[in-house]
Amino acid sequence: MKVRAEWFGGIVSLERPRALVSINRAMMRLLGFADSARWRGPETDQLSAPTEVHVVLSKRCSAGCTSCYVDATPQGAALSLQDAKAALDRLAAHGVFHVALGGGEAMDLDYLFEVADHARSVGILPNLTTAGLNMTPALARRCRVFGQINVSVDGVGERYREARGFDGFALAEKALRLLRKEKREVGINTVVSRSSYPHLGEIVALAKRLRLNEVELLRFKPSGRGAANFESEDLTPEQARGIFPKAQWLTVRHRMRVKLDCSFAPMVFWHRPRRWVAKFFGVVGCEGGNLLASVLPDGSITGCSFGGPDEGSILDPAATRRAFESGFSAFRSYVARAPEPCNTCDYLALCKGGCRVVAKAKGDWWQPDPGCPRVMEWRATQPVRRSPFKILS
Amino acid sequence: MHKDLDGRPRVLGIRFGVNPNSSSLGVDVTYLLFGGTLAVIASMAIGAWLRTLRSSAQEYGAPPPPPESQP
Repeated sequence: MKVRAEWFGGIVSLERPRALVSINRAMMRLLGFADSARWRGPETDQLSAPTEVHVVLSKRCSAGCTSCYVDATPQGAALSLQDAKAALDRLAAHGVFHVALGGGEAMDLDYLFEVADHARSVGILPNLTTAGLNMTPALARRCRVFGQINVSVDGVGERYREARGFDGFALAEKALRLLRKEKREVGINTVVSRSSYPHLGEIVALAKRLRLNEVELLRFKPSGRGAANFESEDLTPEQARGIFPKAQWLTVRHRMRVKLDCSFAPMVFWHRPRRWVAKFFGVVGCEGGNLLASVLPDGSITGCSFGGPDEGSILDPAATRRAFESGFSAFRSYVARAPEPCNTCDYLALCKGGCRVVAKAKGDWWQPDPGCPRVMEWRATQPVRRSPFKILS
Repeated sequence: MHKDLDGRPRVLGIRFGVNPNSSSLGVDVTYLLFGGTLAVIASMAIGAWLRTLRSSAQEYGAPPPPPESQP
């Protein structure tokens, strides 16, 4: 097991069960580690480096999904094999435990498995998201190198075409079957939109039928081609309040592990789960630039794949160190400068104001996530501000 | 000395599974369903498991040496 020192003690990466465990300094000493230089600094919420990094290997994909968040095209940019290996070396030196390889369609890159092998060789667990449209038995066998593989399935049958703009469900289902023959850690990613929300049960039932290990529900984000559809596909207020109980119900109904991505955190915390339990199990909102960072096809580091400033190049050791030590202020500063109603919310330290990318798309990066039910309730109580220009006209 | 950090050896938190996604894993619904009871049990079980794996613990992503020890 690998252990990384942090200001509070350390983080242990376990293979079985697959988990990242935060332990205090006393437990670090018990495991045989001497006092770390990181224990001499001030107490902070900030980690020394992300635990996981999303590596966008390319913005290249020929599927043409109508709401692709990276705006992938058949000629999109890609991180070269040499640069991908250098990036992984750098991330390993900083103690990153996992990478999520994606795109674009990472499976279209003929060096994907070389990248994954290299990640393993430097001690990083590679995970993959794919549309699975070109999966073959031979490719599925090679996918054993990955930890978790999730196939993007935004609807069952005809609903897949409605969500993505082409009929790929049969191919995605075939990919899931082929992958499941080779390994247990196979799941489904589903983007939850206004139109797909009522049919999430069909996805979880499919996962159960195929004996998959998880379903991850991802909020529809106003990024890439998705920006054009955001207003019509963003969840309604009723759906925003209902997503957490619905996910709980689907977990129980199908006995399937259901996860909600970071941008759903405000919708979860509105239901007021116990804070210490949420903190213990890592239930958190925007962790851009802390738990999570991204590397884009040009090598630039950002706090999140969906947005945020360029923090420098992963190929530049000094820039990478600077980013992890003192960068990402667009993400890390939110809690300190949170406006109402975030600054009076009991869950601010966990939620961190919801999704910055959604907030920016709706007007201002530094405003609370407008999809948060608590924010919606608070805004409904505020007096309507009328523009004097409108009154005069 | 911070009592919680330097006192009794403790597990402070657990994130099960790994995340293959572009956005970070925010909420694992399964664990919130069972609440505090599962957290206490998981803390004790993982704490005991870590003790048995003590001999295989490897330091990873070590901090750079302090400036005075650099050549």
